[in-house]
Amino acid sequence: MIDAGQLALAVAFVIAAYAAAGSFLGAVRRVPELAVSARYALYVLPLVLLIAAAALLYAFVAHDFSVRYVAEHSNLAMPRAYTWVAFYAGNAGSLLFLTVVFAFLCVVAVLSIRRKLPHTTPYAVGIMGLVLTFFLGIILFLANPLERLPVVPPDGQGINPLLVHFGMFIHPPVQMTGLVSVAIPFSIAIGAMLARRGGRDEWVELGRVWGMVSWLILTFGLMLGAWWAYTILGWGGYWAWDPVENSALMPWLAMTAFIHSVMVQRRRGMFRMWNMVIIILAFTLAQLGMFINRGGAVPSVHSFAQSTMGWLFLLFMGLTLFGSLAVFVWRMDTLRSRERLDSWFSRESAFLLQNVLFLVVAFVTLWGSIFPLVFEASQGLKVGEVTVTVGKPYFDRVNGPILLVLILLMGIGPLLPWRRATLQNLVRALRVPLLAGLVVGVVVAAVGVRAPMAALALAICAVAAAGILQEWVRGSMSRHRRGESYPVAFGRLLAANRPRYGGYVVHLGILMLAIGAVASSFYSVQRDFVMRPGDVASFGGYTFRYLDVQRISFADRDEDVARFDVSSGGEQLGVMEPKRAFYPAFRIGATRAAIRSTAVEDFYIVPSEFNDDGRAVFRVYVNPLVWWMWVSGPVIFLGTLFALSPQRQPTPAAVRFPAGARTAKA
Amino acid sequence: MAAQPRIPSHLRGLGVSVVLLLALGLFAACSDADIPPLERRAQELNQAIMCPVCPGESIDQSQNPLAVQMRGIVAEKLQEGWTDGQIKDFFVERYGPSVLLEPPASGVSIAAWVLPPVAFVLALATLAFAVRAMSRSRSPRHGAQATPTQVSEEDMARYAGRIEAALGIGGDGAKAETRPTDGRDGKGSG
Repeated sequence: MIDAGQLALAVAFVIAAYAAAGSFLGAVRRVPELAVSARYALYVLPLVLLIAAAALLYAFVAHDFSVRYVAEHSNLAMPRAYTWVAFYAGNAGSLLFLTVVFAFLCVVAVLSIRRKLPHTTPYAVGIMGLVLTFFLGIILFLANPLERLPVVPPDGQGINPLLVHFGMFIHPPVQMTGLVSVAIPFSIAIGAMLARRGGRDEWVELGRVWGMVSWLILTFGLMLGAWWAYTILGWGGYWAWDPVENSALMPWLAMTAFIHSVMVQRRRGMFRMWNMVIIILAFTLAQLGMFINRGGAVPSVHSFAQSTMGWLFLLFMGLTLFGSLAVFVWRMDTLRSRERLDSWFSRESAFLLQNVLFLVVAFVTLWGSIFPLVFEASQGLKVGEVTVTVGKPYFDRVNGPILLVLILLMGIGPLLPWRRATLQNLVRALRVPLLAGLVVGVVVAAVGVRAPMAALALAICAVAAAGILQEWVRGSMSRHRRGESYPVAFGRLLAANRPRYGGYVVHLGILMLAIGAVASSFYSVQRDFVMRPGDVASFGGYTFRYLDVQRISFADRDEDVARFDVSSGGEQLGVMEPKRAFYPAFRIGATRAAIRSTAVEDFYIVPSEFNDDGRAVFRVYVNPLVWWMWVSGPVIFLGTLFALSPQRQPTPAAVRFPAGARTAKA
Repeated sequence: MAAQPRIPSHLRGLGVSVVLLLALGLFAACSDADIPPLERRAQELNQAIMCPVCPGESIDQSQNPLAVQMRGIVAEKLQEGWTDGQIKDFFVERYGPSVLLEPPASGVSIAAWVLPPVAFVLALATLAFAVRAMSRSRSPRHGAQATPTQVSEEDMARYAGRIEAALGIGGDGAKAETRPTDGRDGKGSG
């Protein structure tokens, strides 16, 4: 079985190389048969790769420790269910995972573009083939998950306990899928350019759809990661701005810019060059993310310099970046815009500003993440001798204000008209949101806030919320005047322009996320408590009695489970059980916080240490409005799906012919 | 609100504000500031100091014994009346500048702080330049039309029709009209 898997990997490598070469050759030399055969080769690829994946799964299930990867990432005691997690727990396995997922995505993508973009498709297939060839080359020659050990160990080393969490069943695969999926809109865009079709906006619709799919998966990956951090890492927060998170965030930022600017091309035929630049940047950042995220466990920007694979990834990243920029320059003449920008005060300009700001955030994040490397190089230090740290306080301070401006823009931009806004338009569109922002800002300041930034942030959120509500209310009212009841009017309003109104739903979700983030970063309170069983303490309006602690032994870990009787304002809230697990094999401790979550606030207990004399240290947090952050996930999901759902007539409103009018016959 | 077909917009704005204020009141109520100032300062310091043995984690989040010990030192020094700067210096002396989670704003690492605002300003400047270039390049040919033109009644009616079509409202009022093929002349100056 393992040998079959090895063979499948080699065959897959050849097939991918053929798909790339055949597709490009067929397109350039105008040999359609060759291009078609290359496309079929791509269709076969996922099936071949499934054999390799099945071989690895089989090795895990059969505890075949002669396979190095299986020996390093599982043991006899590991529950079967964690085979799935172990599959991508390491470097080689996660690369295989990425490749399999990407191959499937490619097939679906090619099937979806084949008829609508016949000229672009061969080039897109070629680019997908190149990416697949690169991955498979790395897997075959540098990180083969099916590689055998010379001596078979009796038991494996087991799985990293930090990965043993429900969130780990979905977060890493979603994250990796999101990162690799950026290659799909990239392939479509570059393929269109190569086919001299970049200036005809036909690629835009499918580029947008795949861009949004990719964005949605990335969003989910990030949110699941934040949720995992919040529930398991036990520091009461969800986002630490560490290199892994940053590397996943940067492509998300670039994709967010892309799915917005591509709307301008869709509607107005503008920003054709700009969209190409953005998708190129997004894919480059996604590759960086894939490199840093792969394997998951011990990632840092330093790992680049420490392995051959790092250099290869960097090389491939450079090649795709400069290669696609070269194509861009080469095809620049086909990308002239149909129309010009009319005014600063227009929705086009707002989109452009949004794009630029998102890219600035991405750049700053990149800069902060690699700054330790830059610093070491400038000081002539050896790699790894870190003498400067760039952490959460830095990113909060530098990115926070730009993100706030972006939220303001999210509120104002959609209210501006296309082309040119007059003063009258501006006043009519913005007076209500700005007034709402002002009122909220003043009230928050009056209630007494510590941080002026918090008041500003909430005022800005209010502007954005009021802007969205105003659009919904105005639209529904104008339909209502035509005799529709309010609910019907609202429903039909949303259905009439799905990209737009789906976008508003997503914006609303982002706003929930933002309010949760602002509230919890400015208003969160925490305190450490030293308690013995029977002690009662109170904090933030909650009273909690430490009942007892029990030690439970499992095959792979010992758990200390504490029990608390919690009440608030005389109301019994039940028993909460925070726990701390210790994994002797890894010498790693892990905590599981107990969280009581409501729409208003989270009450969060996490154990720090249990002493032998019965004393225990607990940290207690009261985090306001965090609940909204997790709820925003489904809202964003549904909004994106709604925006994506096909509509009979897209874009510029075609004017209907009156009944009985005859159409001219050609 | 259901019966009234038209509500003055400032009233609507008020309604919106009220909804938002409710949400706000919720957590204004829950954020009882029962944390003494010294403890709050300790937390802020803890969040800015890195645990030297667990890279990237602050001593506030880490449960490593060293981090626990360092939290103790922070609290102690604050009790003794040290300033935030003195406490940070104390740790920098022992563990080097990398113990702080922010690069210092001096020496080479000032670049970490300078570049983001510079990038921000440069990006905006480039944007301004690009917008000007993009909007100017049409003026030689359309110099006359670049200024706002008077829109006739007829045009207004036509646009209203298109807006209604965009909103998906019944189409019998809209006139048979093909879209102008030349987008730049969309203002219909004909």
